[in-house]
Amino acid sequence: MKKRAIGQAGWLWTSLASVVAFIYFFPVLFIILTAFRSRSDTLATPPKWFFTPTFDNFYHIFFRSMANSTEYVATGFHMYFFNSIYISGMSVLLALLIGTLAAYGFSRHPLRGNDTYMFIILTTRMLPPIIVIVPIFLIFRITGLAGTYTGIILMYTAFNLPFSIWMMKSFFDELNTEIEDASRMDGASERSVFFGVCIPQVKAGLAATSVFALILTWNEFLFSLLLTNKLTRTMPPAMARTIGGEINVDYGLLAAMICLFIIPIFLITYLLQNQLLRGVTFGTIKK
Amino acid sequence: MATIELQNLTKAFGDLIAVDNVSLKVEENEVLCLLGPSGCGKTTTLRMVAGLETATSGDIFIGNKNVNNLDTRDRNLAMAFQFYALYPSLTVAENLANPLHADNLSDEEIKKKILEVADILQLREIVNRKPHQLAEGEKQRVAVGRAIIRDPECFLFDEPLSRLDVQLREQMRGQIKEVLSDLKKATVIVTHDQLEALTMATKIAVMRDGLIEQVSSPHDIFAKPNNTFVAGFIGTPQMNILECNISEINSSIIKIKVLDQEVEIDFKTSLSVNKNDSYFIGIRPRSFEIVDNNTLDNFSGTIELIENMGSEILVHVKNNHLTFRSVQSRSHKLKIGDVINLKPKNGQVHLFNKSGEVIRNE
Repeated sequence: MKKRAIGQAGWLWTSLASVVAFIYFFPVLFIILTAFRSRSDTLATPPKWFFTPTFDNFYHIFFRSMANSTEYVATGFHMYFFNSIYISGMSVLLALLIGTLAAYGFSRHPLRGNDTYMFIILTTRMLPPIIVIVPIFLIFRITGLAGTYTGIILMYTAFNLPFSIWMMKSFFDELNTEIEDASRMDGASERSVFFGVCIPQVKAGLAATSVFALILTWNEFLFSLLLTNKLTRTMPPAMARTIGGEINVDYGLLAAMICLFIIPIFLITYLLQNQLLRGVTFGTIKK
Repeated sequence: MATIELQNLTKAFGDLIAVDNVSLKVEENEVLCLLGPSGCGKTTTLRMVAGLETATSGDIFIGNKNVNNLDTRDRNLAMAFQFYALYPSLTVAENLANPLHADNLSDEEIKKKILEVADILQLREIVNRKPHQLAEGEKQRVAVGRAIIRDPECFLFDEPLSRLDVQLREQMRGQIKEVLSDLKKATVIVTHDQLEALTMATKIAVMRDGLIEQVSSPHDIFAKPNNTFVAGFIGTPQMNILECNISEINSSIIKIKVLDQEVEIDFKTSLSVNKNDSYFIGIRPRSFEIVDNNTLDNFSGTIELIENMGSEILVHVKNNHLTFRSVQSRSHKLKIGDVINLKPKNGQVHLFNKSGEVIRNE
């Protein structure tokens, strides 16, 4: 028998793991396949595993014949796609910026009752968001923020802040403060201690926090539905509208939308995976 | 050249007073060791000198200039940290160069300085490595190198050797002492290791619970402890400190009663003590000699335990409820259960009053 490396799993465990992984991945695979099926193939029972792939569904996302017409018109979906990217991106950046600064403050210059403040920040995540939807809706209407990019970006930033602060604080807490002191001795200002010494050491934390915040924002449905208008709408309510507006659900179209929807998150997670792995395992692997 | 002077320095963290009214002066060319058990406030004191911690009250003078409101980077000090604090992503050379950036030197000058320091600390071969590729001893030398590369007013060392193993520590102790004596600057070293303090310092300040217990030369700290804490803290094995009553005073000879044993000790000079009051006597384990007969000038007891210390042995002697320890030569061939008589060597007995302060006639 071939010798295997210490800690490496045997073929039995490897194949078992593959089966489990396949079970988890199956729905995603099914959706990807459905996106490339024609309408008749989609509805076939039993499901057809071999079929001629078509890009019709993807085309229909952007150009579709509306009710009682054979003419193909632009659906404006590219705009929703852009909205999602723009709104999530901006709010994650803002949350990261404010959250990192706040976390550094909480970590390095604790206030009297620091833990209480941290707890209060966390409590904002303890309620289901729907509880505050009515006051927020009213506030947005009065202030004129409803339907604007600024409004929804601020909303999502507020959403992501508690999480960003908590997560970044734990990263700052883990750093060896001696290095910061050493650079002060070497003549660094407080600003360069933060930007030059601390930030480079928490890159993994920034990556992990931004991915988590991004996923949360990217998938958010409720607030987007209520606080955006036709021009600022993001993907989730836009998708729901497309599907929900028709009598017969077009599963192929839905699957194609989902495929497009997961690409940005997939890419970002893929690009950041090295940092992310270090980020999400913080605390479990000690230096 | 500058001195460091602390005046009534106090630091409180909430209700906890970490440093309590500390006044100290470090002259140019002097190496002061702050010595004390963990949590006694020695590192906090050092950090206040460095400006990394703000004093609650009191003044710090560096070169006769009050630096209370000066930022760390404006104090022109250099510090070596306990965990070395090397920048993980920079090479040894870059780590060494970092303190120089503030001085606006040319690349040539920086390079020259790095090589100079690398030569002093034998870092030549490793200047291009990153900290994680270094051994503990090398990291420590880089940390020292980073402190000495600039020409600061004073040097601060925070437990510089605590992370090294015993052999390396001994080696580095000599090396740092050598480097420091060439620098001729006021230096403060924080340590909890008495051997480190006794060997490297020209002056030792023993701290406990934020207070300075004694400031003296290394020899005086050992030979003339001011109180039972310093007496017990300095010297290994620890000094025997026994409670006693004075039963008779005859000019310099004092007869004390330790539990039920009466011993006469000649203190050479008369001390102001009162008959029948209780006191403490302190005798170092190495200050005993074995005598044949149990007379009034020695302690007698049964050997309860023998610890091996290489060329010597540490004997635990018990007499009723009284136990004390003595270091003896292996040549005595002592066994557990033997009864021995131990006579304190002349002039090596310390007398402390009830509150632990030394009674001395000088």
